[in-house]
Amino acid sequence: MWLWFSKLGSPKWFYELSGRWLPWLVIPMALLLVVGIVWALLFVPPDYQQGETIRIMYIHVPFASISLAFFPLMAVAGTITLVWKMKLADMVAKVAAPLGAWFTALALMSGSIWGSDIWGTWWIWDGRLTSMLLQFFLLIGVISLRSALEDSDAAAKACAVLSIVGCINVFVIKYSVEWWNTLHQPASSFSLSDEAPNPPEVWVPLVIMIIAIYLFFAVSLILSTRNEILERERRAQWVQDLVEAQ
Amino acid sequence: MTMIEIIQFSSLGEFFDMGGYAFNVWSVYALFFLFFFINLYFPLLKRKQIIREQKRRSIVNKETATEISSS
Amino acid sequence: MNPHRQKKLSIILFVAAGLSVTVGLILYAMSQNINLFYTPTQVAQGEVRAGQRIRIGGMVKEGSVVSANDSLQVRFETTDYVHAVPIEYEGILPDLFREGQGIVAEGSVDSSGVFHASRVLAKHDENYMSQEVKVALDAAGVNTDNHPSSLILPES
Repeated sequence: MWLWFSKLGSPKWFYELSGRWLPWLVIPMALLLVVGIVWALLFVPPDYQQGETIRIMYIHVPFASISLAFFPLMAVAGTITLVWKMKLADMVAKVAAPLGAWFTALALMSGSIWGSDIWGTWWIWDGRLTSMLLQFFLLIGVISLRSALEDSDAAAKACAVLSIVGCINVFVIKYSVEWWNTLHQPASSFSLSDEAPNPPEVWVPLVIMIIAIYLFFAVSLILSTRNEILERERRAQWVQDLVEAQ
Repeated sequence: MTMIEIIQFSSLGEFFDMGGYAFNVWSVYALFFLFFFINLYFPLLKRKQIIREQKRRSIVNKETATEISSS
Repeated sequence: MNPHRQKKLSIILFVAAGLSVTVGLILYAMSQNINLFYTPTQVAQGEVRAGQRIRIGGMVKEGSVVSANDSLQVRFETTDYVHAVPIEYEGILPDLFREGQGIVAEGSVDSSGVFHASRVLAKHDENYMSQEVKVALDAAGVNTDNHPSSLILPES
């Protein structure tokens, strides 16, 4: 277990392994995205209240749900950095922050466009929307903290601490709709029956889109991590050999 | 029931109109494709840059190494 | 794990736990202010001053909507099925506004208890289904009223 752990922490090992994984993530991602989007746009029946705007859900919900994974991911990576000083963990933490900002921004923007007609407003300072916006600013904070500190060791530590603290906000986002009254509706519970609210014809394509977007997250994170490895390990012999071979 | 029969729109015009919510639905999907493209294309572009930069560095290093050894 | 690392890990866990408790307590203390709206019962019981700008959230009472013919003026009642508050509003209503639908209105109560709204927003619930499923459920007598749980007081 410990051997495996330290091996995984080796950038070279991760680079080689992730290179072999990538096709097995990219192919299902592409397939599920095509199936999910075609299904969401053409085959999902319009909602009895919201009509065709229900199709926005198939973008909004997957991005909003994966956005909540960034702070826990960065916190775990940060803790590993602080305790075991594993280089790879800090590389993942570094590339996760900007990606998280993109994902959070898309969740906010798609929600805003959805709400503009359905709720009658682009924005409202309710618990869910405000805490999600806070997450966006926290991620911008992590990114700027890293670029502001020149000492990369100190930057890694500071970002790790901020990421661990930022995890609290994830709980706030998640439970905001239950703790307080908000304009945003709570999470849906899906039904296995065809004759109930949220039947399979509504949630099956949603699950497909969620898996597709999770794979997209994994692919994008791995691609950026590999770049980070090449940059930081550029003096290592294996990177120089790899560059020569290109 | 064939796939064609369960399509929710009877014409292409209706599909683009999205029941009057064309702006909302299509702008969200457009944003998605933009984000998707950015977050895949930029890492790939950056990878090329890094490798190009590295190659340039290693050539410079080799030249300096030969200069030092020949002088 | 060597003792040095163990110590570091426990410090991180301790600080994280401490911060969570602190933030939890702050949020708990502020929870009244974080709530987006007052319920009709709170307004009816006089929890808000006349003229104070607030939001009120409730269901549009069935059969209460009266629209003017010559203007955008609309009058309706919002209810949590315990108390109802009359609302007057002039302007464009959101697409989802209809009787039996959840709404959040911004404005203030006057001395006679009428709420003058400057903005009305729709609040929908977490149930999505097609018109066919809705019709089938209605025919089967299943209650699918669009009742966001936070708008209705628990029956006591």
